[in-house]
Amino acid sequence: MLRDSIIAAPAVVEMKGVGIRYDQGPEILSDINLSLKKGSFHFLTGKSGAGKTSLLSLMYLAQRPSRGALGVFGQNVNFANRDALAVLRRRIGVVFQDFRLIEHLSAFDNVALPLRVCGMSEKEIKKRVKELLSWVELDKHMFEKTSTLSGGEKQRIAIARAVINRPDILLADEPTGNVDNDIARKLMKLFIELNKLGTTVLIATHSDKLITDFPYPRLHLINGGLRVFQPFEGIVKGVGI
Amino acid sequence: MTSSSLITRKQELPLKDDATGLFLKVMVSIAVFLFAVTLAGVLSINSMLTNWNNSILGSLTVQIMPVNNINQEKAREETLSHQEKVLEFLKKLPQVESATALSDNQLQMLLQPWLGDGINIKELPTPRLIDVRIKKNAEIDFPKLAEQLAEVSLLASLDNHKLWLNKLIRFADGLKMLAMSILILVVAITSGAIFYTTQTNLGLHRNIIEILHVMGAKDTYVAQQYAHRDFWIGFVGGIIGLCFAIPTIFMIAGLAEQIEGGIISDARLSFVSWFLICCLPLFSAFISMITAYYTVKRTLEKMM
Repeated sequence: MLRDSIIAAPAVVEMKGVGIRYDQGPEILSDINLSLKKGSFHFLTGKSGAGKTSLLSLMYLAQRPSRGALGVFGQNVNFANRDALAVLRRRIGVVFQDFRLIEHLSAFDNVALPLRVCGMSEKEIKKRVKELLSWVELDKHMFEKTSTLSGGEKQRIAIARAVINRPDILLADEPTGNVDNDIARKLMKLFIELNKLGTTVLIATHSDKLITDFPYPRLHLINGGLRVFQPFEGIVKGVGI
Repeated sequence: MTSSSLITRKQELPLKDDATGLFLKVMVSIAVFLFAVTLAGVLSINSMLTNWNNSILGSLTVQIMPVNNINQEKAREETLSHQEKVLEFLKKLPQVESATALSDNQLQMLLQPWLGDGINIKELPTPRLIDVRIKKNAEIDFPKLAEQLAEVSLLASLDNHKLWLNKLIRFADGLKMLAMSILILVVAITSGAIFYTTQTNLGLHRNIIEILHVMGAKDTYVAQQYAHRDFWIGFVGGIIGLCFAIPTIFMIAGLAEQIEGGIISDARLSFVSWFLICCLPLFSAFISMITAYYTVKRTLEKMM
């Protein structure tokens, strides 16, 4: 029933015959056909170097595909101008594997970044950021520079920054890689709550435990192509190969 | 686009403590110093040209050559009699506001720089001069006036200052063009320095800019931060440059006043000129801001 409703929902990310290469090198991803429906939850798996980060970077609009068509929120990215892409990016939350925090800023300012970019009032920013930092148990480190924090703390800040704007899509690259099991479970609970509120979630991971603990379908990258696996099942549908 | 939309108080980019900031501040200070001194020169030349033009339009000099006679006393009396006749004639002209013969003392003062203190003007066969002030907007036919003067006295000749002043005006115009070229060059060099340091700086902070882009920041958001930083660099640099320029302008003016003849001392700066010079820090701030803003916009389009 749930699966049927997901299939019927509009696609937030749509790829048709997408390929990506850097300079004149070989294609990292080729002929990717994918449709991420609104409100869906997927894991993204694949060996190191399979192209997970490249696929995510296409989705968060850091680059355009070398070939094929990419649509995000129903807009063709291939022809969108820079300002239009920026507006689309505001609806996407991203957690990077290497966190990519701005080191000279405090935890508060890093988390507030997406809200400031959108032009939200400082009063509203203060309220939202304090609440979220308290939820990820970092309220004591709120005004410390992120360069002084541990890897796990940085990761929680990166996640807080990605979700502060209540994004329509959340893309996370190894979001639980640097935290202990309790925090990992808590963060996954946050992602699931967001998903229930309508956010499309895609989590790139190497963790078998995460995949078996949480029964969501996974997109698996292999040999530059993409396959979709249902939870606890083998390959049920080939996409792009 | 208004200037307020070019800048922002948000500063995610660590631009405040940037080494290029100090370089730009020094650069802008030097540029504003040169600009202010050159601008003062241009404005002074302008005021000098206006004064000279007014003097051409508003006055002329009639010269009475001395009568040749071995008897100095008699020669002097005859010369003065010619002067009186010419004075009478000039005062009757409707275009003339006043005609005044220069006294012996005034003539002596004119000759003093060349002949020294110990001269007695009465003993020398010097020409007499009549200073003629012309009514405002009055038109004078100079060749006709010269002919009429010759009829009154063969010793009288007319000097409307045009010949030698025209040469000076041409020279001053040339200086003005040269100064204007320097002003354009100073602005171009400063803008160029801001352009290249901003480009380098964008490369240094590429990672942060990428993060800002991922968060949904438009190029304008990044450009505003640079514009904000460079506005203050331009303003502070401008103030420093101006602090050095004002005493320099006074010093040059002091030296110019020591030149005899009053030619250079005509070059006085008006209140408006000083106001323009004092506005230079705002001008440098504006130029810095605009250059930084559009450099960032253009570079980001190419870079990412």
